[in-house]
Amino acid sequence: MNKTLLLAAAAASLALVAATGASAQSIDYGSLEQMFNEPVTTSATGSPQRASQAPVDMDIVTAQDIQRSGATDLPTILSRVAGVDVLPWSAGTADIGVRGYDTTFSPRLLVLVNGRQVYLDFYGYTAWSTLPVRLEEIRQIEVVKGPNAALFGFNAVSGVINIITYNPKYDDKSFVSGRVGAHSYREASAGGSFKFGDRFAGRLTGGVSKQDEFKNSIPSALGSDERVTANLDTVTELADKLELRIEGGWAHNLENTVASGAGYLATKYVASDLRGTLNWDTKIGALQAAAYENRLRANFVDAAVVVNKVQVASVQDLFKVGVNHTFRVSAEYRKTDMPVAGDGVIKYDVKSAAGMWNWQALPKLAVTAAARYDDLKLQRTGGFPAGLAGFASNSLWDRRITLPSYNAGVVWAATGADTVRVTYARGAQIPTLTALGALSTFGGGALIYGGNPTLEPTIVTNYGVSYDRALPEIGGSASIRAFYQKSKDIIGSPDFAHPDITVPVVVVTFANVSASDMRGVEATLKGAYKSGVRWTANYAYTDVNDKPKAGYTSATLIGKVAAYALTTPKHRANLNVGWDDAKWSVDGFVRYQSKFQMNDVGLTRGALEQVDGYTTLAARVARKFDQGFTVAVSGQGLTKSRQRQTSGLEVDRRVFLTLSKTW
Amino acid sequence: MITPQSKTLNLRANLVRAALAAAVVCGPGLAHADPAKDLQVAGRALTFLENGPTGRVVLGVVFDPAKPASVAEKNAVMAAIGGGYAAGAVTLVGKPVEADDVAGAAGVNAFFVTGGVNYGAVGGAAKARKIVTIGSAPACVASGACVMGVTTDPKVEIVVNRSAAAAVGVAFKAAFRMMIKEI
Repeated sequence: MNKTLLLAAAAASLALVAATGASAQSIDYGSLEQMFNEPVTTSATGSPQRASQAPVDMDIVTAQDIQRSGATDLPTILSRVAGVDVLPWSAGTADIGVRGYDTTFSPRLLVLVNGRQVYLDFYGYTAWSTLPVRLEEIRQIEVVKGPNAALFGFNAVSGVINIITYNPKYDDKSFVSGRVGAHSYREASAGGSFKFGDRFAGRLTGGVSKQDEFKNSIPSALGSDERVTANLDTVTELADKLELRIEGGWAHNLENTVASGAGYLATKYVASDLRGTLNWDTKIGALQAAAYENRLRANFVDAAVVVNKVQVASVQDLFKVGVNHTFRVSAEYRKTDMPVAGDGVIKYDVKSAAGMWNWQALPKLAVTAAARYDDLKLQRTGGFPAGLAGFASNSLWDRRITLPSYNAGVVWAATGADTVRVTYARGAQIPTLTALGALSTFGGGALIYGGNPTLEPTIVTNYGVSYDRALPEIGGSASIRAFYQKSKDIIGSPDFAHPDITVPVVVVTFANVSASDMRGVEATLKGAYKSGVRWTANYAYTDVNDKPKAGYTSATLIGKVAAYALTTPKHRANLNVGWDDAKWSVDGFVRYQSKFQMNDVGLTRGALEQVDGYTTLAARVARKFDQGFTVAVSGQGLTKSRQRQTSGLEVDRRVFLTLSKTW
Repeated sequence: MITPQSKTLNLRANLVRAALAAAVVCGPGLAHADPAKDLQVAGRALTFLENGPTGRVVLGVVFDPAKPASVAEKNAVMAAIGGGYAAGAVTLVGKPVEADDVAGAAGVNAFFVTGGVNYGAVGGAAKARKIVTIGSAPACVASGACVMGVTTDPKVEIVVNRSAAAAVGVAFKAAFRMMIKEI
């Protein structure tokens, strides 16, 4: 460790000394995108790059895609990205997986808003409705496939979804929108950009929505579905080349979440966040210092209450040396804690160091190498529940986990139209706070729901090769991507009769239950014409193979919600055909997903239910009027009044009428 | 017999057929790069100069009257600019400049060097006046006569000659530099 840090520090110092006098600037995505005629991203390496040159498999959903989607939520929009699986459990809840392994409380995906982690630390999943942003303020959604942990740290194992909102310094975006729909859907939202003088710009957005839950076919005790959000984003130019961005968000929502083995849980989330980012252009590069705090209070069925706080502080320097070398060096401190039963607190802090080197080795060949080292210190303080006090000690949680992560990529722009990409990545999924130590007891201590501080992180390694070709003849492009992924020490959900722990009571807890490998291929084809017609088609195939650890079998993995070979569909495909002119915009979306099995959402977790392959149809027709007014009719699940897409509630057909104005 | 597997294959085949059919039915694709695209990129690139121009920017379009290709490119660029061409924070205004007149052309903020021009001489004159030169010929940038080269077909490529940039006293913003090729 010391040698590693020394080498990293020495390399960084040498690079800094040799750095040319760069004078950096916060990223103006809009201008860069318009200049290069393609989206721009920083989610691959931390350095701004054209999407076509990023050394990762990435798809970008643009603001225009979002507007044309007719969707009212992020999961529906993301379901149209190649290789993305969505489990729509209820009207306001969905789990998302990238290239398989989707499950309840899907833990393998890192979700960010402008680089701020929004996935919920205590159980490692994303409650999409708790994101405080409105769809209208999103510039683009960057979907990175496979691990990207060397940039974002652990948990970026299946993929990363980074939601980029408009920057009020560069983007003057205001809107007001009202939407009504079937199943009592009501939504109102608004947002306004403002400036004070030349040095301060901001945007304030907010909205409320409410809808009926899907028909209760389980049946289960379901609550209502409501969402309220507010979000503030400001940029202040403190001095020449020194700017401060402050972002703060708040979300309150009621929804029906699903936990395998626990069924539907009427849930109330209150989430808030505050982030400050300082960008400073210096002679040694673009310096950035950021700090944020996420707070969450989750009430499950008005009984179990989870309070979780995450604090992160980071610094980084991004600089170019000579004409062919770009470097990023960074350090991060992360702290998270959660009260647990028995007046205890489970917590860990993580110190991280990371570096990235992008080398334009040849005019048409770029090499990127990135590494990150995480040093996690786990701790527990406080007392224990009555049933555990006799044999548990806080010293069981005194543990240190050290994790290296790597990303490497070679991008060969063989011609102006052809790009070949070869990638390697290794990331780690850290056990969640709940998995490590959320102790609680039931039945006077006869049944203990326990964390397991001995859990190992899940290590995910990914190898990929892809080929992209621009097709100016049809105003589009084609890409094909092949990948092979290995997962080691997959963490199973809590189950009875844990084989590793013997205590004088019945324990349900987490364990590392299996390894797994997955191979697959994705293909995307796009076209656009002067006539205004455009289309996108994508297809993804994945084949998952489970390898149970000693003491487990393929059958027992089902009870651990880790039978991914059975619960991952092999095929998913999307087709979008659209047409625009100055006044009209028409889109149709067809999605197909092949059959798969999913754990019963009731209390019989050992059973799988088959979900047959299904096809969905969605559409939007919009008419633009003067002064920024738009009237749109859109719908999801149009072919059937209700459709089974998970082992839970059937998804209702939804139709919406939206009136909006932008300026 | 229709099995779930055959349904899957059928759907995949149908999706491919639908995409190909759309490609054929909808006719020819979007047009290739044109002077307007080059101007759009060049104009926006100028906004990534440190303390770069905003508002009205006079672009001297340098041509060689003895070379028809150069004249044709000049005419195409001037036509694309028209009465003023908005590219991000700048509005480009065109001014034809014969290659021999670069040293004396008044009121010009940047030069666009058409193909076929003796760019060595043009670059030298522009450097003496500390004015940025932009060209579409790779050799112009490679030689250091042009500060920046812009091509848009089949995709946008921007190349900056750092020595030439230094010679005219300009520097580009870091985010921009990380996304282009420098020589």
